[in-house]
Amino acid sequence: MSLASEILIVAGCALAAIGGIGVVRFRDVYSRMHAAAKAPTLGLVLVAIGAAIEIGTLLAATTLTLVVIMQLLSSPVGAHALSRASRRQVDIEMDAVDDLTRDERSSS
Amino acid sequence: MNVIALVLLVVAASGFMYRLLRGPSLPDRVVGLDGLQSVVVIAIIALAAQADSGITIETVLVAVLVGFVGTTALSRFIERRGS
Repeated sequence: MSLASEILIVAGCALAAIGGIGVVRFRDVYSRMHAAAKAPTLGLVLVAIGAAIEIGTLLAATTLTLVVIMQLLSSPVGAHALSRASRRQVDIEMDAVDDLTRDERSSS
Repeated sequence: MNVIALVLLVVAASGFMYRLLRGPSLPDRVVGLDGLQSVVVIAIIALAAQADSGITIETVLVAVLVGFVGTTALSRFIERRGS
């Protein structure tokens, strides 16, 4: 393997490991969601670039680009739906303003 | 050097698996499942780069779409039913 793809793949796997450690150690659902949604997505981008350099065919590079676009679109949407769903279910002390309650109160 | 990448992936997968098995609430388990899906996708791409062949890359596309549909369906389920 070339050195560039080695470095990119190891960096991407390190970001995934950071996400895994954060999911274990953070204290509530939203902090864990923060760790689980962002770090492995950037890790996936780095690993895909490294694999596209290493494999080197146009078909693999195109498919990996499609995978990266799908993940970049679907990961925030999934995290948003999950955070909205878990708003009513878990009881968490808020750090600052509760925006959802404020918006619902002002709209009704 | 590839051993380092695989060890890091094992660390990530065990963290997400811990949260999937003993999350206090149902959204915690869904967070663990979502992260585990990301780790599986990363592992398939890293092993394809190690084997230097692109024949397993199409699997990754399906895995990303199935993970998105699974997370969204589970969050709708939580929103309707409760924890």
